[in-house]
Amino acid sequence: MLRVLVWLAAVVAGGALGLGSALYMAGLWPEGRSLAFGNVDVDGWRGDFATGSEAADPYTRARVARHGLLALAKTEAVYLTRNTDSAGKRLSADCTYRLTGGAMAAGWWSVTLYDAHSMLPANTGGALSIDASRMGAGAWEAVIAPERPADAAHWISSRNAGAFDLTLRLYMPEPALLEAPGRTLAAPRLERLSCGKDAA
Amino acid sequence: MKRWLGPLAALLVVAAATHSAALHFAPAFIMSRAMDALAARGVALHRFTTPARITPQTQTVVRSSPDLYYALCRFDLSNPGVQLDVRIGDWPDYQSLSFFAAQTDNFATIRGTGRAVAVRLLPPGSAPEAGAIVSPTAKGVILIRRLAPSAERFAAAAAAGKADRCRIEWRERMAAPAEG
Repeated sequence: MLRVLVWLAAVVAGGALGLGSALYMAGLWPEGRSLAFGNVDVDGWRGDFATGSEAADPYTRARVARHGLLALAKTEAVYLTRNTDSAGKRLSADCTYRLTGGAMAAGWWSVTLYDAHSMLPANTGGALSIDASRMGAGAWEAVIAPERPADAAHWISSRNAGAFDLTLRLYMPEPALLEAPGRTLAAPRLERLSCGKDAA
Repeated sequence: MKRWLGPLAALLVVAAATHSAALHFAPAFIMSRAMDALAARGVALHRFTTPARITPQTQTVVRSSPDLYYALCRFDLSNPGVQLDVRIGDWPDYQSLSFFAAQTDNFATIRGTGRAVAVRLLPPGSAPEAGAIVSPTAKGVILIRRLAPSAERFAAAAAAGKADRCRIEWRERMAAPAEG
């Protein structure tokens, strides 16, 4: 009887170990580990240029299926995400941030805010992203805060977002960006301005 | 000590098998659930569904962009005698037509900025044909993206979408050999 129980325990433990390790290595478990991966890192913006392609390894495919379903392959669009500010601190709806940047090596770009479940946060501000068509060709600046700042021309609402992240979409990327993203992409900078009661 | 070797080996074998199986089946499982969710929310089979603008209240897929017009068409080419006639209308800004297999691969994308596009989607195993794409899986989803970052542009994109088509049809029979 004991012998049967030992074998049964080994099989159950093996199944749990295999499933847990697969989910962990694919960044699916525990929640929030998906950004620990990727083969591209430009100033804290991380992505995986294998997204959407048949060449992606099984870990990438599983992760993209969960967090980036229906994403395009890199020749059409690349996706870079960050969940920390430029000082490395976790992004939070309790804080106010300044996002600055300029032209990027792509036909069109946007920055969109998502909550910890990879969904748009439940607010009605109508300000969940900025994009190239609104920000112009030169240097630009936007504020990320739960409420619209009185003196900001461009605002991304973090209301009800909790611990959020930002996704930078680069559509029609230039070939040089795909070959050497670190040298080609002038990635937006994200500076924390204030937190808590001091937040705008 | 020896009596533990068998269970230990079983643990390692089961762990490796479960690890591989979980990774192998996860994308198709997640895609299948997403397709079911899309169907439950009215995304039609063999027809582009007129979309609502992406907001926190209307989103159905993770990481959708509020700056894009998305139109979805689910397909099922399990019958080898059928094909899908896919067309998108003219749109002056960025637009693309992308095809996703059951295991989430983006197996084809056609950019259609400033022009209309027409293509046929053939069942898995079909011989390549001009003007056609062979799907690697019988089931999948087709997605139109149009750049539409404002309510006005979204309304215009929806008007352009009236020319979109995702229609299943029987493939033409092979031409009979000429007599004589």
